[in-house]
Amino acid sequence: MRITALLAGLALAVSVAQAQAETVVKVGVTAAITGPAAALGIGAKNAFSLMPDHIGDIKVQIIVLDDATDTTKAVVNTNKLINEEQVDVMVGSSTSPQALAMINPIFEAKVPLISLAASASIVEPMDEKRHWVFKTAANDSVMADGIARHAALKGIKTMGFIGFDDSYGESWLQQFKRFAERDGIQLVAVERYSRQDTSVVGQVLKVMAAKPDAILIAGSSAPAAMPHVELKARGYKGVIYQTHGSASSDFLKVGGAALNGGYVSVGPNLVWSQLPDSNPTKAVSATLVPRYEEKFGKNSWSNFAGQAYDVWLILSAAIPVAIKQAQPGTPAFRAALRDAIEGIKDLPANAGVFSFSPTDHAGLDARARVIVQIVDGKWKYDAQ
Amino acid sequence: MTSDIILFLIQDGIANGAIYALLGLAIVLVFAVTRIIMVPQGIFISYAALSLSWLESNLVPPTAWLLLALGLLTAGIECWQARRRPRAMRAPLVKYVVLPAALLGLCWLLAPQDLPQMARMALALALVVPFGPIMYRLAFQPVAGASPLVLLLISVAVFIALTSLGLVIFGPEGVRTAPIATASFTLGVLDLSAQSLWVVGMTALLMVLLYLFFGRTIAGKALHATAVNRIGAKLVGIETNAAGGLAFTLAAAIGALSGILISPITTIYYDTGFLMGLKGFIAAIIGGLLSYPLTVISALVIGIIESFSSFSASLYKEVIVFSLILPVLLLRSLGRRDIGEDEQ
Amino acid sequence: MTSRRILLLIVLAGLAVAPAVLSPFMVTLLIFIGIYSIVALGLVLLTGVAGLTSFGQAAFVGLGAYTTAYLTTTIGLSPWLTLLIGLGLTAAAAFVLGAVTLRLSGHYLPVSTIAWGISSYYLFAHVDGLGGATGITDIPPIEAFGYPFLTRESLYYPIWLTVLVTMQLIVNLLDSRPGRAIRALRGGILMAESFGIATPRYKMAAFIISALLACIAGWLYAHLLRFVNPTPFHLDAGINYLFMVVIGGASQVWGAVLGAGILTILQNYLQDLLPHLFGQTGNYEAIALGVCIVLLLQRTQQGAVSLLDRLLPPPPAAPPGEVTAAERLPERPPLPPGTRLLVVMGASKRFGGLTAVNNLSFSIEAGEIVGLIGPNGAGKSTAFNLISGVLPLSSGEIRYLGRRIDNRSSRRIARLGLARSFQHTRLLPDMTVIENVMIGAHLRSRAGILRALLRLDRAEERSIRAEAARHLHRVGLADSMHLAAGSLALGQQRILEIARALCADPTLLLLDEPAAGLRYQEKQTLAALLSQLRSENVSILLVEHDMDFVMNLVDRLVVVDFGEMIAQGLPEQVQADPRVVEAYLGGIE
Repeated sequence: MRITALLAGLALAVSVAQAQAETVVKVGVTAAITGPAAALGIGAKNAFSLMPDHIGDIKVQIIVLDDATDTTKAVVNTNKLINEEQVDVMVGSSTSPQALAMINPIFEAKVPLISLAASASIVEPMDEKRHWVFKTAANDSVMADGIARHAALKGIKTMGFIGFDDSYGESWLQQFKRFAERDGIQLVAVERYSRQDTSVVGQVLKVMAAKPDAILIAGSSAPAAMPHVELKARGYKGVIYQTHGSASSDFLKVGGAALNGGYVSVGPNLVWSQLPDSNPTKAVSATLVPRYEEKFGKNSWSNFAGQAYDVWLILSAAIPVAIKQAQPGTPAFRAALRDAIEGIKDLPANAGVFSFSPTDHAGLDARARVIVQIVDGKWKYDAQ
Repeated sequence: MTSDIILFLIQDGIANGAIYALLGLAIVLVFAVTRIIMVPQGIFISYAALSLSWLESNLVPPTAWLLLALGLLTAGIECWQARRRPRAMRAPLVKYVVLPAALLGLCWLLAPQDLPQMARMALALALVVPFGPIMYRLAFQPVAGASPLVLLLISVAVFIALTSLGLVIFGPEGVRTAPIATASFTLGVLDLSAQSLWVVGMTALLMVLLYLFFGRTIAGKALHATAVNRIGAKLVGIETNAAGGLAFTLAAAIGALSGILISPITTIYYDTGFLMGLKGFIAAIIGGLLSYPLTVISALVIGIIESFSSFSASLYKEVIVFSLILPVLLLRSLGRRDIGEDEQ
Repeated sequence: MTSRRILLLIVLAGLAVAPAVLSPFMVTLLIFIGIYSIVALGLVLLTGVAGLTSFGQAAFVGLGAYTTAYLTTTIGLSPWLTLLIGLGLTAAAAFVLGAVTLRLSGHYLPVSTIAWGISSYYLFAHVDGLGGATGITDIPPIEAFGYPFLTRESLYYPIWLTVLVTMQLIVNLLDSRPGRAIRALRGGILMAESFGIATPRYKMAAFIISALLACIAGWLYAHLLRFVNPTPFHLDAGINYLFMVVIGGASQVWGAVLGAGILTILQNYLQDLLPHLFGQTGNYEAIALGVCIVLLLQRTQQGAVSLLDRLLPPPPAAPPGEVTAAERLPERPPLPPGTRLLVVMGASKRFGGLTAVNNLSFSIEAGEIVGLIGPNGAGKSTAFNLISGVLPLSSGEIRYLGRRIDNRSSRRIARLGLARSFQHTRLLPDMTVIENVMIGAHLRSRAGILRALLRLDRAEERSIRAEAARHLHRVGLADSMHLAAGSLALGQQRILEIARALCADPTLLLLDEPAAGLRYQEKQTLAALLSQLRSENVSILLVEHDMDFVMNLVDRLVVVDFGEMIAQGLPEQVQADPRVVEAYLGGIE
């Protein structure tokens, strides 16, 4: 009985809220603020808190919900934001399985989605559902391409792979295989480990036994340091590559001196101050990163925060276009917003330069990555 | 697989297995005395290691505040229950308010100093061990006579609350603490780090201590008696609640020590203890939740199997480790003629 | 119409109109609540009724979801076919898990389901072709009668229909022969076995049914989201399902729905509310949940549904149990008087160095009442346990109707026609008196789980009820028939135990100290009942401490002291035996 009463009360509250929603553009965000991918979600949440509440004279309301890195919860949040808050655009979530699960609900409601997760399968292959989906995180392929090129230039012939046993490691393995083959690099050993593992001795020994010239570690944040440290402890002398997921201050702290000399493929904003002025992303990051670090602490900046803030840059470009077509809160506005995002060309942002097209909803090219080297606990831009 | 690799893997397996053994011992101990399956055992690992890391960064660990808060809550409950007997309030006030407050004060004073690593470890240990008896007092003592099923559910709920609390107070990021010793020795092909010797050595030492404790001390014998026959122990004047509190104190001490020992070797997160605790758990189950030596042996075997499977089938490592209990349970099951007892 | 019925109608009507009046988001929540309820209903049966626990239900949900996801996307099977395949796989997995753990004590099932929950999560994530950690997309919708259930809303009615049907099936099951056997699993295993109930089989049945329900929920989930990945099937989710049942109340079917609803709605709103209260993000709702569960379990183990229960007027008394039209249950042909029933030859039992029973020999013939007496600690209870198959013999043999029974389990001894009572009464206190007696007729009836679910067992059920009622009349408890057994006084409970044993149509009744602890009045009533049974030619072995009580009841007495038989014969002879006098006087002082 109580539940029925509760439900009735909520339904009432919802209809009141609907009456009030008029000229405000509403942005619904679900992010993995807690749970295994919390590091990603927290960066996103921080970035959202820095966003202004106006684009020109258009009021923008951003509603951020936590989905605890849970797929079902991401879907529930999406439904809640779409149905209860009547958002005009959805953002999130932080991991690929969550974003994939959100595609159906946003397609049913015809609300555009800007995903923060990286997997290419979120926007490819293009179909009637993915027609509504965009993303700001660079495809793993952009990053993998960079590492393969870098390694080939260094004359590396054989490589080993140690990656997470989750969707991140999986996607990297797929993409990297492709580019390694293209650049004539042989993948001689593939091992997987999990974020929670307390020892990676077995995996490290196995990869080292194949004697690769270089080893790629695909993990995120601090856990990415563990194989790196173990490889050095076992006396591995070859080149070690890390993926953009690792690029965090905790990674540097936990890995310590063992990381010295390792290469990481990252979004350019991580080393924005070292970039040549010709790089279009430098000016964008230069205005944002100091503000971010002032509020959230030194070295708190991460790629995750950058790609979340890029959502704002995209919306700032698209909303003024869409609002000429229709009133916010209407299906027509949502469709117009989708079209406006798809129409964005050469928009410099933190993650790179966005140019969307009807077939490409990732929008980033090689400008979305740089190779950096870890030198004494700092990122050093490697101009190649 | 060369013989070198085999040796490396065995070495790695033993280092991990030693920790599982410690956790398994604590789980067997708590189960024997209280019939509680200690799901939150791994929590102490994370809390201790993360507290130590806070001290290393010259900060007051959040556990000190949490301890005081929980202590105040416990003291409040104790005093409420003893509201007609003011004299009975003194002990809980000392135990649950003065002690945590003193620890907090100590952290406040000492954290900014450059302490020797050993002193930091002792402080971290002192901060985390009281969580054991407080956990028992708050969550389990009010229902000490409940069915094993209810105790198990409470145990899981405590685990969830404390893990989530860990995320709130420590944040999602992992830490690695400074090692006790940095030296390494060469033994044939093996590089033995002093830290891993510490782990194995401390495990062995702790086992000897536990053995002496149960065999030689009054408190240990009382615990043992409670484990063997709870009603009998009560009749001869052993307080079941005191025994439960003591068992939880020991479990917390063992868990916290494990955390401090391994945090220089591996990265510890707020939830790292869970999987390690579960593996200690599997060892305890293989030991029938009864036999200490069998628990230790199976913990080492689990460590070694884990190490080898991470070498040869890293994707299926956890599946292999957790499937281990099936054949063991099957053997146990076949060896029984009866039908399982009533548990009420 | 009772207020319970009115409430039920309101709830049903509410569910029926919900999609029309609630916001789409609330409908989505209700859909998920429905799916969770199906899993929780399985746990009500497993945990609340049978007293077993599983943390692995989420893995069974996953098995159902992944089976259909894989088979519909790769080889294009119909979802209806994949449902059947999923159910088959689930039953097999549950059977294996059950087979290795259900014979062991209660801790092993929860622990092995934890291991199963973790292992299966990694298997979902890593077995080739299951889409890895990223998952399987583009699962086709369910289609029925050419109508594809494309949107989430369209699945609302099918899901809630499944919930309601499942609830009815479980209610059917609980009110049946196998249902009573499952209800006896919680705290009544020894009793159940002594009435021939194969408890491991019913444990297995409860576990498999709960797994199958989880599998159905998984199948619905996969076709609802049209996407699966491993995380929703992790151990955390398994724990969540268990908590739903704890919150809602594990002992009633509505507890499952209530628990699923409360937890889902609370988690959903707390997760938004708490971070605001604390001014920072964090999974505060998990902390709150953990603390709430601890507090709840410390106070009550009945859950929210019991609160509701207390608010409502009690349900009207069950319909009268007397059913005249029922067919009589099969009965054993009476044995000719003088047939040798029980022969104990040189039975001994040693516990380590202590000999509890030494070289005991005696026999009982059909129609006889034999008393086995002795002072405290004489070994009577041990002797009783040896005969009833609870303890194995150290040496010697025991035969019943010529067949060795000393190596048989109590369940197999029950099949031969022995029925017993317990000194420490073993009744199921929450069940009514007549339901307790009906357990006695377990071996005289056939209905299995499938028949019970589909209510095809009603004719037989009427017969069992009539038989139980007959024995309640016989022992004079007919007036208490519909009371909870736990509400009876000790003397009535002992008589109830006798009625239950009589309901098994035994050739020999074993009574374990039926008079112990009774007040004078109660003893008189019991003695009157036993004399009546004697006049009805029931064969009885009466183990008793109180010599005066048995003196006028029995045909022969066997006296034991310190584990040895010291006298045997007619009551008067035995009473005069100096060793007996010595034993009793010396024993009592």
